[in-house]
Amino acid sequence: MGRSVQDTGFSRRTVLKAGAAAAAVTALPFAAPSVLRAQTAVVKVGILQPVTGALAHDGDLGRAGAEMAINEINAAGGIKSLGGAKLEMVFGDARSTPEAGTQEVERMQAEGVAAIVGGFASPICLAASQAAARYDLPYLVDVGVSDQIMARGLTNTFRFSPGFGKVTQVALDNLTAINDKAGKPAKTVVLVHEDGLFGSGLAKLLQTELPKRGFEILETIAHPTPARDMSNVALRIRSLNPDLVIPSNYYGEFVLLARTMQQQRIKPKGIYAILGGAASNGRFVKEFPQAAQNVIDCNHWHDPKNPKALALRKAVEGQGKSFAYNVSLNYSNVLLLADAIERAGSTDRKKIIEALNASTFAGHIMPYGPTKFVNGQNEGATPINTQIQGEDIKVVYPDAFAEAKANFPAA
Amino acid sequence: MTARDLIPIAVLTVLAALLPLVVTSSPVLNFLVFMLIVALGAQGWNILGGFGGQFSFGHAAFFGTGAYVTAILQLRFGVNAWAGLVLATLAGAAVGWAIGFLSFRSGLRGSYFALVTLAFAEVFRILANAASVTGGAAGLLIKLDVHPANLQFGDRAVFYWLVLALVAAVLLLTRWIQRSRFGAQLVAVRENEDAAKALGVNSLTVKLRAIALSGGVTALSGCLYAQYFLYVDANIAYGSWISVELLLAPIIGGVGTVFGPVVGALTLHGLGEVAKQFAGRIPGIDLIVFGGVLVLAVAFARGGILGLLERVRDRGRGMMARGPKEVSHADR
Repeated sequence: MGRSVQDTGFSRRTVLKAGAAAAAVTALPFAAPSVLRAQTAVVKVGILQPVTGALAHDGDLGRAGAEMAINEINAAGGIKSLGGAKLEMVFGDARSTPEAGTQEVERMQAEGVAAIVGGFASPICLAASQAAARYDLPYLVDVGVSDQIMARGLTNTFRFSPGFGKVTQVALDNLTAINDKAGKPAKTVVLVHEDGLFGSGLAKLLQTELPKRGFEILETIAHPTPARDMSNVALRIRSLNPDLVIPSNYYGEFVLLARTMQQQRIKPKGIYAILGGAASNGRFVKEFPQAAQNVIDCNHWHDPKNPKALALRKAVEGQGKSFAYNVSLNYSNVLLLADAIERAGSTDRKKIIEALNASTFAGHIMPYGPTKFVNGQNEGATPINTQIQGEDIKVVYPDAFAEAKANFPAA
Repeated sequence: MTARDLIPIAVLTVLAALLPLVVTSSPVLNFLVFMLIVALGAQGWNILGGFGGQFSFGHAAFFGTGAYVTAILQLRFGVNAWAGLVLATLAGAAVGWAIGFLSFRSGLRGSYFALVTLAFAEVFRILANAASVTGGAAGLLIKLDVHPANLQFGDRAVFYWLVLALVAAVLLLTRWIQRSRFGAQLVAVRENEDAAKALGVNSLTVKLRAIALSGGVTALSGCLYAQYFLYVDANIAYGSWISVELLLAPIIGGVGTVFGPVVGALTLHGLGEVAKQFAGRIPGIDLIVFGGVLVLAVAFARGGILGLLERVRDRGRGMMARGPKEVSHADR
């Protein structure tokens, strides 16, 4: 061996220098926040979205909505009761798994956020809101429709949008109303659903509810997510020849089904989606306008008569992104939260939760009216019906919000 | 087992146990808990795959069984969570034995065995997705009720210590297997099953024991997952993600070594997490690092990170002795 320290090129001086540099680097992150704090106060808001993995496209849209709301609030002078404090986004990638969501909640808690908005998928919302509950951290669910989310009695969890029970109830009422109005052309139905939480839950419910409303279910077809081929499903639909197809699945499978049906020239009187994966997604309309024609969806959608909503849609499309409901939902949720912080006059979590509970916020862009939270659920929340007509997604029911007449039965 | 076998395990466990006293940050503890749960499941895989040479692609079958058994026992039958932990482990062992009995008795080996385990996990996933006892696709939500008697702790450090203790216990178990007659038979089966049989090893019994142990340990990790995140559904419990996770950690760390699974889980997830801290604004950076580590490990560290370290050490020794003979004779 016989190597001395000098041989390796490490002198006492270089070691000292390296040590000093390392100390400076490690000290820097601790020094930085205090420098920032001297300037205007900020309120940190956690935005949790799955931007990698299977749900990346949706998560990206959700983030865009939240980002726009934050920019708008800051441009209008921030939170006035806190001396014009600006909102600062602390973004977390929930990947597409519950444990990644939990991990991000922990990080946001460590960064000192005042509240968290987002989650998107129900399993992420379930895990993340629970993790936030440990710290009494207010959690606003953006989309997750599972009824379990609100049934746990967590005082920190709020849902501005409607849950599964409400959506299906309204969807069935509206379907009956639209069908009645057109002179009851639809009598027979085929259900196509994915075999996960959302699809099979919905199928089960429809199987009991549809016959009560005078519809006959010819068959219920389940498929996995992801599914690569829908030919068999389409062939089965062709042989059954139903008046109505009710699909409940996610984006990819919905598009595949609609395209396969178009290719095989299967034209039922209507395709009526409930929380349809693609039926009210701008990307579907843009990429496959023919397959998308006349698809009706009962889903979250903004109030088309609200000028703010139209401006938001224009801005999102101006960025080259396709528009979907989770943009409006995240946008509205951030506004709702900002209103609560404004009224709480504090970033104290208990006060924000109190302010949310007392909230009667009407400045959002959804067709819900002023908010009213009962056990965390916004009572006024409701889905509405949209139909893809031409190259646009138009609200067709209820009449109070309708932009166009429903094209049903499809010509 | 000699003291020399036990000291490294004891030292590492004590060092890891002291960690929460230094690091109080919840994100770090939360990450460590998840990492240790993965490591525990991977240790289970390693008993069968590493020592027994039976590569399973479907350890989700055991992970999920552990998660579901404890959740169902608590929710439907009001069984205490601690009892659930024990019963879930036993259930995992039973499922392991059953799958092993069906596939080993039919003489399935190598890729056929791998495919059969994959199929079992998928069948379980589909059943759990449809059955009402598992909550169907809606999954099961264990009630949030923070109390030590419910295996839910206000302080994340306590759960960390619990998982760490179990990981340490399985490290000891693995070391025991390595030194025992059973372990020797298992390795003999791995190296050449026919030769082992010729020497009088009952290969079916040995493999069945290994898969039952393996299933039990992996079920334990599934049970801890359910108990920590308080939510299970079919894709979390029986999804292919966990099968892959459980076999990657030992492969990266060192297949058939005592510390391999723990080192592998720490490396894969640790580097990803560090990357996320430094480049958190780029979504997916941790996954990119995860993939990068995987490629590097497979390309340059055959035998895993521990195998690589050993080679480096041997080379170092060889250089000191200035004799190439030393290297080739290095004992493994």
